[in-house]
Amino acid sequence: MKKVMLLTIFAALMMISSAAVAQTATGTLTVTATVNGSIQLVFNSDAAGVALSSGAGTNNATLAFGNVSAFGAVAAGVVRTTAANSFTVSSAVDVLVSKTNSASANYTLKAQLGSADATNTWQVGGVTVTNAAQATLTATGTYASNSNFPVAITIPFTTASGTNISNTINYTATAN
Amino acid sequence: MLRKHKSIRNLAMTALLLAAASAISAAQTTATGVINGVLVNKNGISLQFDTDPAGVTLGAAGTSAATAGFGTISAFGPLSGGVSRPSVTAANFTVRTIFDVQVNQGGLASPTYTLSANLAAAAPTGLSYKIDAVTLTTTAQTIQVNGAYNTDVAHNLDLIVSTAASGAGGPVVGTPITTTINFTATPN
Repeated sequence: MKKVMLLTIFAALMMISSAAVAQTATGTLTVTATVNGSIQLVFNSDAAGVALSSGAGTNNATLAFGNVSAFGAVAAGVVRTTAANSFTVSSAVDVLVSKTNSASANYTLKAQLGSADATNTWQVGGVTVTNAAQATLTATGTYASNSNFPVAITIPFTTASGTNISNTINYTATAN
Repeated sequence: MLRKHKSIRNLAMTALLLAAASAISAAQTTATGVINGVLVNKNGISLQFDTDPAGVTLGAAGTSAATAGFGTISAFGPLSGGVSRPSVTAANFTVRTIFDVQVNQGGLASPTYTLSANLAAAAPTGLSYKIDAVTLTTTAQTIQVNGAYNTDVAHNLDLIVSTAASGAGGPVVGTPITTTINFTATPN
């Protein structure tokens, strides 16, 4: 009788012990990634210039001067200078280059016209740009800061009224 | 004399019939037995990782030891398929993928499970890891309290990467960084 009681108690304890062990399921997820440094260039409207008509804050923006002339009214933000045989209109445009995960101290900014323009002269930041080769605008650009690189077009007086002038300027920022 | 002979013959035939009947009876002998099969119904719970259609393809999907590879990540550069970049700030950027957890159970009365997770080791410099809204540490934290059994449950896995340069608080650059996340599913 005593043995039976002991066995009963032992069995009961075993059951309690078994019930007390909460079942769980486990898993491991191994996560891998390779971080690379990167830089980014975006265009922003400059407070002193023409507001970018599209793409502000991106790397694909549009600067529209509107109607320009040697002596007539020009849009707000457009600066005009007139010479003997031509006039120049310009607008401030901000370029913002950001870097991440890089020890680069500064950047080099270059620009190039998308297509040839035999009539007008294009300048960015005071540097003449053509489609022949990239022109260096700065070799010591400051990261994470809007830098004004005015876009200027010099138009001869011989240009017919109503002529549409359009081109693309390609910018390249390279980490130094 | 003839009557006696017939009587003997009848006795012999009767004996033969009885013997034959006995033989037939012996051929139909059957043996019976009962096997008592005892089945112990053990309850159980399992966890596996599955590839989410919107996330990266997991290595060893369908098992409890899977791999999620983000590939090369950066604040501005291209990302692998299944990896998105929800945010970029001056201080950090986040890359995200989605993975599924499926927890199966049998023999339990539990209606749902609680999912917890922790980093196996401290996060590498310049990186932190989040599952859904929970930033992971080496201490287990609850990810979900009412997980549904037997179905894939999607979770976001976020890597928050410092934009600082390596050696200035940012992560190591150009080298694969591996981290293990431990998951535990507990029946409710």
